[in-house]
Formats: sequence, structure tokens, C-alpha cells
Amino acid sequence: MNTPSPSSSNPSSAAASSKNSADLVERYLQAVRFWLPRSHRQEGLITELGEDLRSQIEDKESELGHPLDKAETGEILKRCGSPMMVAGRLGPQRHLIGPALFPIYEFVLKMVLLWILVPVFVFIVGPANVASSGGSWGLAVASTIAQLWYGLFIAAGIITLVFAIIERTNSQLGTEIKWDPLKLPPVRKEPGKPSRLKAACEFGFNIFGLIWLLLVPYYPFLILGPAAAFLKAGPIVHTFYLPFVFLSIVALVRSGITLARPQWGWFPLLSELLQSVLMLTLLHYMIQAITKAPGGFPFVVLEDAVRDSPKYFKLVAIVNVSLLVSVAATWLGVGIAAVIQVWALLKYLRNRPTPPRGMVSLILR
Amino acid sequence: MTNGTQAAPEILENLKLELRRGCLIVAVLAQLRSEQYGYTLRKALADDGLAIDEGTLYPLLRRLETQGLLVSQWREEDKRNKRFYRLSPAGELILKQLLEEWESINASLNKILQEATQ
Repeated sequence: MNTPSPSSSNPSSAAASSKNSADLVERYLQAVRFWLPRSHRQEGLITELGEDLRSQIEDKESELGHPLDKAETGEILKRCGSPMMVAGRLGPQRHLIGPALFPIYEFVLKMVLLWILVPVFVFIVGPANVASSGGSWGLAVASTIAQLWYGLFIAAGIITLVFAIIERTNSQLGTEIKWDPLKLPPVRKEPGKPSRLKAACEFGFNIFGLIWLLLVPYYPFLILGPAAAFLKAGPIVHTFYLPFVFLSIVALVRSGITLARPQWGWFPLLSELLQSVLMLTLLHYMIQAITKAPGGFPFVVLEDAVRDSPKYFKLVAIVNVSLLVSVAATWLGVGIAAVIQVWALLKYLRNRPTPPRGMVSLILR
Repeated sequence: MTNGTQAAPEILENLKLELRRGCLIVAVLAQLRSEQYGYTLRKALADDGLAIDEGTLYPLLRRLETQGLLVSQWREEDKRNKRFYRLSPAGELILKQLLEEWESINASLNKILQEATQ
């Protein structure tokens, strides 16, 4: 006979139980999704599995007469199997390594090849080869790539062999994995959704930045401080002022759209990347202009009143060199940021939630 | 590694699995003569003695749909999105042919078994 659960008599605790149960199912589905190969990470399959689990929970609830608590939901999930096992069964058919072991094989392979072997070669073996090459960089890089290729091949072979042996000798291994549904990690936030507060702050700063940039020609002390008494903007600033104003307007429009359309998860990533590319192009032309006319294309020059005063010559040279170094450092920083942005955009595109086939019309209805 | 007595249950298990695999396809196609979604289909099969786990059923349904034997549609029921499956005209034809094949195998097997007992 079933003992009535305390949650059946208390509506608020029943609602909490139901929420906990739904949360546990979401965590379980997230874990299954993690183990599915990317090519099989179809939302339709996960939605169907989720629907099946929710139907099982509903049936159990009608049988028991109360909403299931976490432990009872955990029992249903346990019966369904560990997320890795379920992903193995839902994934494509494997031959050398069976479905039960394949997710863990793929995980180990990725960990060893991408996160251990490649960094070891890039940060240890590569620099060591370069150091011992006696200046012939090309040879050192080619030798490192050849060694890396060989290492990847051997490591992948050994891992595959080990898993194939496990598969042949212990077919029960996959089913014996101990796991606890209650210890599954919490559901992660949907990727790519920007924070409203961050977007609002960015918009505010961009307005402030544009106003500041528009005021600089009229109030040079805003950029030069007390040095505005004897320095003024040089030819390079005049040449590149309008493109920088344009870039600030682009940044303002970009942050405005991000704020107004938070549902466009792709937009901040793509627009940030485009802005970085524009910035890199502009800085590239700026550096080229300076290096093609060294000394003749300064950022700042002396005010007419002090033009012939030798005590300022050294100062203006120092300021110009410092600004050139700053521009080069900014170019490098924006370049690194652009690489990170490309990575983030690719990651978003690969992981973005796609509605199951045939569900688009359902959502639009 | 495979000594007779120890491997026997495993061999039986594998043979049962092989036997079930083909039967399951026929059973799924037969059940889907009327429209059902995953869970009700699984329940109906289990009630008739052919339990099938989630990890086996959904890829099978996907495969049968890709082969054109099933058609599916996402619909909202009880405020939840469910994928309903039913047999396609091509599936109906294949099911008919499979059942004929089943009858023929069954008849042959019965005949063989009768001859063996005589």
C-alpha cells in the first residue's frame, strides 16, 4: 500500500515537488545532450526523451496520488539509465566500440588530444624546438608539426585499442557505471543570451564616449589635460578623427540593438566581431601611415606660441612615441579579442538551440 | 575466454536480442497503424509483452521515418509538445509484406519442429 506523501496534503509543497522533479528531468536531459555526439545532438530526440520521462512521471504520480519528489523522480531516471548510456543508445551505431562505451571513448580522446597533447606541443615541445634550432624557425615549426602529428596518431591509436579491448572483454562495463540522478549538475543558462544590465551599461558608456569624442576638437584638455596649454592635435589625429567618430557611432548603434533585441543571441557576438575587424583595419592604416612617414606624421605637435621652445621638444617626442606604442598595443589587444570573438561565435553557432523539425510552425501558431 | 557453460547465458541473451530485433520492427509498425506518440507506443508494446527502452525506440522510430515507413508530426497535447507517429502508405505496404513473410517463416518453423518431434 502506498503511504500518502506529505506533499499531497500541502499545495505549496506539492508545487515545490513538481518544480524539483521538472528541474531534475531538465538536468538529466542536459547531461544526455552533453554525451551525445555533436552530429546527433538533435533537439527533437532530446525533446522526445524528455516527453517520455514526463509522461512516466505523470503516470507514477497518478498511481501514487501525489507529485513525485526528487528521490522518486531520481528512481525513474535511474531506471532509464545513466545519461552516458542513454546517449550511447540514442547516438549512431558503432562497431569497434559499442554504444555504451562510445561516449566515454570520445570524451577521453578529446581530452587527451585537444586538451593535453596539443597544449604540450604548443607550449613546451614547440618552444624547446625553436630554442634548440639555432635561429632556423621554419625548420623548428615543421619539426614540431611532424612530431605533433605523430604523437596524435600514436595517442589516438592507443586509446582506441584500449577501449576496443575493454569493449571485447567486459561488455557489462557501460551498464555498471554508478551514478546518482540527484547529483546531476544544475541546468545551464541558454548560451548567447546577453545580460540586460551589461547591454544597458555598454549603451550608456557608448553615448558618453561619443559625446566625449565629439567635444575633443573644441576642448583639447579633455584628452591632453594640462598639456593642452602647449600641445595640439597633429596631422594623424585630423586624418583619422572622422573614422573614429564613425566607429563610435557603430558601437553605439550595436549596443542599442543589443539592448532593444535581447532575443537575438547571435547579434552581440557577430556585431562585436565586425566592430573589432573595423577597429583593426583602422589601426592598421594608422600604423602604416605613421611608419611610412616617421616623424612627419605625429599625434601631437607644439602649439604655435611655444613652437620654438626647445624645452618642449623632448616632451612632444616622448608623447608621440608613447601614443604609437599604445596604438600598437591596442592593435594586438583587439586582434586577440577578435580571435576570442570568432571562437565564441563558432561555439554559439554549434551549440545554438534549434527547435525540432516541424516544431517551428507549432511555435509560430 | 568463451568456455561453454559460462558463455551460455550470454549466447542466449545475444540470440534473444537478435530474435527480438526483427520482431520489434514489425511490432512497432503494427502498433503505428493508429497514430501514437513515443510514450504511449512504448506503453502499448510493454502491455503486450514487448518492453522496449527509450534509447532503442526513438532511434528506431527515426530510422523508420527516414526510410519513409512512418510519418511524424509535432503537436501540442496537454500543453506539451509531442511527436506523433503513424504508418505511411509505403509503411502499410511493407508491413503487409512483412506479415506475410512472418506467416511463412512461422509455418516453416512449425513444420520443421513437427518433423523434428516425429
